[in-house]
Amino acid sequence: MTVSAPERRALVIEDDADIRMLLVGVLKREGFLVEEAATVREGVEAARRGVDIITLDLNLPDGNGLDACAQIRPISDAYILMITARGTEIDRLAGLDSGADDYITKPFSPRELVARINSLFRRQNRQLAATEAASAADENERRRAAQVQQSLLPRQGLQLQEYDVAGKFRPSRAVGGDFFDWYPAADGMHFTVADAMGKGMGAALVAATVRAVLRSTAEEPDLAQAFASAAASLEGDLERASSFVTLLHGRLSTADGGVDLIDAGHGLALHISPDGSWRRLASGGVPLGTVPGWEWEVVRLTLAPGDSLAIISDGLLDIYNTLEEFAVAAAGTVAGADSARDACEKLLVLGEDPRVEDDVTAVVVRRNGGEAA
Amino acid sequence: MQFAIEDRGTYTEVVATGRLNMVSAPTLRATVDEAVGAGSRHIVVNLAATEFMDSSGLGALIGCLKVARQAGGDLRIACVQKQVQMVLELTNMNRVLAPYGTVEEAFARD
Repeated sequence: MTVSAPERRALVIEDDADIRMLLVGVLKREGFLVEEAATVREGVEAARRGVDIITLDLNLPDGNGLDACAQIRPISDAYILMITARGTEIDRLAGLDSGADDYITKPFSPRELVARINSLFRRQNRQLAATEAASAADENERRRAAQVQQSLLPRQGLQLQEYDVAGKFRPSRAVGGDFFDWYPAADGMHFTVADAMGKGMGAALVAATVRAVLRSTAEEPDLAQAFASAAASLEGDLERASSFVTLLHGRLSTADGGVDLIDAGHGLALHISPDGSWRRLASGGVPLGTVPGWEWEVVRLTLAPGDSLAIISDGLLDIYNTLEEFAVAAAGTVAGADSARDACEKLLVLGEDPRVEDDVTAVVVRRNGGEAA
Repeated sequence: MQFAIEDRGTYTEVVATGRLNMVSAPTLRATVDEAVGAGSRHIVVNLAATEFMDSSGLGALIGCLKVARQAGGDLRIACVQKQVQMVLELTNMNRVLAPYGTVEEAFARD
């Protein structure tokens, strides 16, 4: 939106040729592009083509100004200035009820007319400026929300002997419902990749809540137990928000490469060997917030040296016809990457496609070693 | 996206046409809420002409399922297309919202 003066268009509806000429002259001097009409019919037609201000005579050959006003108001937001020879209060009130914005009584001086019009445009500019200030404030708020969401992501480079961990997140708007998280644990690390329903600010609020609740269960040694308690405390909130969250939550034990994993309707975790062969891990659990009292199963896998675990959000799925096609592309990308970080970056590049409308997130955990090392 | 309600005697059919996403999801919720409010207990959502569903669309289906079950009834889906099928499988929601081949089959064995 801009405040820079666009061409202002005026319409004069007046049957008296002399007065019409006077009005047209005044408005042209004020910089308006002026159209003229001598009847209600012509006036309504001209108003339909779009104007900013209309001067409207109360007495017209094919009807009165009040009828014209009633016909114009539904099709135009133009400022309507009634011009009337009858300066009684009743006329004035009727004029304003019919949708007119102001009135001026004949005889009037050109200076009075100009003063009315200028005061109108000052008012409009103030409204425009207020709207602009409000949208600038919205923009600041969005930017700040995006910063906060970024700050809730883990710092890159969790230092784990033998392991390389990276994640990347690109929201489709300023903020999104995707998030990933990881933090060190006694024997390795815990990690989460999640996607809250929808997009934008509402989804981001839900995502931040889920992150905090899952973190609060880190001390519980049994994964299934920890997850059940997180799910129980989130269930009510998700129900009230009419939302749900798909997520993968896991625990890596660095000593043996063991990963315990819970899949709550996320479904896009791939165990990838250095040669690019892959296996999709799915435990069949439903998303958080969909079925009260659901019991999620833990699946276990072991990362051999050189293996990667890649968890990717469904945003990327939009460009593939089948899950199989998606998995082949993702596994090839991860196996061919130099590092976990490189793999995440390359996965997000795959998502730089106009068909991808959703947030895109990728987390890769790679166990170093294997043939390549 | 458009929704049409058809009374089929023992159940109510909701025909959803178009893309079930963030924009249309609230309308599906309102449509099913209205049907349940008007006394329908058995709802079948016909997804034959729903070419796309995102997470908000799935959320609306889940919300509708809850509404129907809370009213002592049930909501089932029929005639799902490929993309919708994939979303249901990926999220495992097909374990709760099992798609039926035709609208008639959905409540045939009840």
